[in-house]
Amino acid sequence: MKNTYFRQWISDLWNVMTHELKSIFQDGGFLIIFFVAGFGYPLLYNLIYRNGVLEDTPIAVVDNADCSESRRYIQKVDATREVNVAYRCTDMVEAKKLLEERKVNGIMMFPADFGEKLAMGETAKLSIYADMSSFLYYKNLLMGSEFVMLDEINHGKVQPISYTENLPYNRTFSYSIFLISAILLLIIQQVMFYGMTMLAGTAREENRGFATLPAHLHGRGVGRAVFGRSLAYWLLFMGLGIYIATIVPAICGFPQRGNYWDIIALLLFFVTDCVFFCMTWSSFIDKRETVFVLLLFISPICVFLTGFSWPISAFPSFWTGVSWLFPSTFGCRAFINMNTAGGDLQTVVPQLRAMAVQSAVYFVLASIAMYVEQQIYKKRELE
Amino acid sequence: MKRVYDVIRREVSIWRKRPVYMVGSICVMIVCSLFYLTFFQEGVPSDLPIGVVDYDNSSLSRNFIQQLDATQLGEVRQYPDFESARDDMERGVITSVCVLPHDMYADVLGQRQPEFTFYVNTLYFLGGSLAYKDILTMINLTAGAVQRETLRAQGVNEHAIMGKLRPVDIDIHMPVNPTMNYGSYLANMMLPGVLEMIIIILVIYSLGTELKYGTSRNLMSMTDGHITPAVGGKLILYTGLFTMIAFALMFLLYGWMHFPLEGSIWWMLLDAFLLVLASESIGVFIIGCVPVLRFALSIGALFSVMAFSMTGFTLPVEAMPAGIQGLAEIFPLRHYYQFYVHEGMLATGFAGSYQEIIHLLVFLFLPFTVLPRLRNAYVKQNYPRK
Repeated sequence: MKNTYFRQWISDLWNVMTHELKSIFQDGGFLIIFFVAGFGYPLLYNLIYRNGVLEDTPIAVVDNADCSESRRYIQKVDATREVNVAYRCTDMVEAKKLLEERKVNGIMMFPADFGEKLAMGETAKLSIYADMSSFLYYKNLLMGSEFVMLDEINHGKVQPISYTENLPYNRTFSYSIFLISAILLLIIQQVMFYGMTMLAGTAREENRGFATLPAHLHGRGVGRAVFGRSLAYWLLFMGLGIYIATIVPAICGFPQRGNYWDIIALLLFFVTDCVFFCMTWSSFIDKRETVFVLLLFISPICVFLTGFSWPISAFPSFWTGVSWLFPSTFGCRAFINMNTAGGDLQTVVPQLRAMAVQSAVYFVLASIAMYVEQQIYKKRELE
Repeated sequence: MKRVYDVIRREVSIWRKRPVYMVGSICVMIVCSLFYLTFFQEGVPSDLPIGVVDYDNSSLSRNFIQQLDATQLGEVRQYPDFESARDDMERGVITSVCVLPHDMYADVLGQRQPEFTFYVNTLYFLGGSLAYKDILTMINLTAGAVQRETLRAQGVNEHAIMGKLRPVDIDIHMPVNPTMNYGSYLANMMLPGVLEMIIIILVIYSLGTELKYGTSRNLMSMTDGHITPAVGGKLILYTGLFTMIAFALMFLLYGWMHFPLEGSIWWMLLDAFLLVLASESIGVFIIGCVPVLRFALSIGALFSVMAFSMTGFTLPVEAMPAGIQGLAEIFPLRHYYQFYVHEGMLATGFAGSYQEIIHLLVFLFLPFTVLPRLRNAYVKQNYPRK
């Protein structure tokens, strides 16, 4: 008896899964999202952020001092990786005009008394005007001029304390390494979310519900249906996940410091979590297209919630709570720490635990949703 | 004219019946505004966790730790050894690790130049770079304090000490964003980006549902088979709705939130209005090229998500590969941003921004290239609905 129940369970599971896979591959919209966004986006983002580092930001120099010190300073600034002295102007008016024409992204101005003050052993002032349209311009200008300033301070002097700086993981402050580490796994979640909700919406439009159970069960076996559908998505997105998390970085020459099997283990947690997450939220979608109209704005918000840019310690508590709703919050952080910082599974235990809890909660919610929907359909049929 | 009026009335009744239009535009904008304006509320993050390993345990090292903790940016967490600190940095718990070497103070006194080492986790953009800046400043201050003592002992007067310690001082001006407020920097572009997204998606949705539910013939019969009044009527109404949202957004950003604006708000309103028109044109173009709602929406979604990156307000476009740089021009948000830089930051007026106005207006030609195709689709309904 037990044996037959088990067999029946497996065969139902199989049926649900294959049925789901069939409907997935018959859906053009899903396939566009899956292939273009899933396979293309990671490569496209890598291409856009390929260089990652902004070098030689053009600036204009106004040298009112015209002394050997200022000339040495200008030469050194020009020699930094960050800044390129593109124009030398006679006055600020000319330099501001260049800034307005966007030929330069910053101005460096030496006051007339620059050399005099240095000669007298006083602090000489140097003014910088930064183009704030991108923080990277500001950063380049500040770094370039500060490096030279530090160099000048140490000029012919022995410092009491020397220092060594280490910027492991991302030596050049490359923008691509920040961003790509954060969004790779997010792409998996979002592709699945839009894909699954689209299919759920279609099913409901055609009035067959997303929760169709094998007929012979008479409405029982919600577990089989949830697992069966999940398995279909899980298989597809584990494939996509392996591509995104291991093959894409290899293609694009992106750092891969994590152990391969650790990354796969992370994917197991993350993809499972995503499947139940998407299934739960897709119960609210009754029309195929509404998900784009109502929920597309979630993607950029999820990027910020990973904490790759605005530090996690500075999140307002309300948004910390919101971030716990998404698998990506934990998955992306774990991926950053593992793939790019070179941690092992031990490093990401808190995130794995969070994802396990999320999976369990979303599984229960998805099952409840499916059960409720099933009851609704039954009632409708009776009427 | 009568036809256009009929189309508008028909559209209004659709809005009434299906709340998705209002929810998808106004509610989405409100939620996003709430997010982008409250998430970065602090503007500049404070109390970033910085790990310190103090092998020295002297008055100098304790003083250093105290000072670092007292900076607005940093909050010190002490670790007994480097390994545990490094593990926490790898976990992303702390932004950086400073290692104060054994006998640091003794070496300073003996002029043996001790070596101070620090590590920054540069995988977290803002946290990493701010911690980096904070630590560098503190090291220089500490070194300066030691030097000052030496110079004082040598009998150099206070005035000359400053000149020796800090021969050059940099005075940095940041027009428009003097406090380096990350929140206003991001919200300034993210919110118009969300607006562009809403517009493209809703225009595609509105024109596409006519095909999906087969109501397009009904629409065409109201305009005697002319496509221009049919699409035009719809767009007049949408332009009104989106312009309202766009203007509300401008007043929210530059009025209520007081984000700095060098130029005049009128130019920004024009910029926002042009963004609305250009985005609508993109929407019409996409559904015209692919008159199948589900495909068109997928394409529109991919396009509008891309726009955030291609605008170049984070990584500037000139740092992207050459082939990608040209691609940036096809995103209305890119031109909105350029316009904003000219007007909002540099206040160059018409002379600076006329090129962007032209760019944005060029988008308005797009719909006309696909109207005949859309008309065919509307009348014949010969595209798959699924």
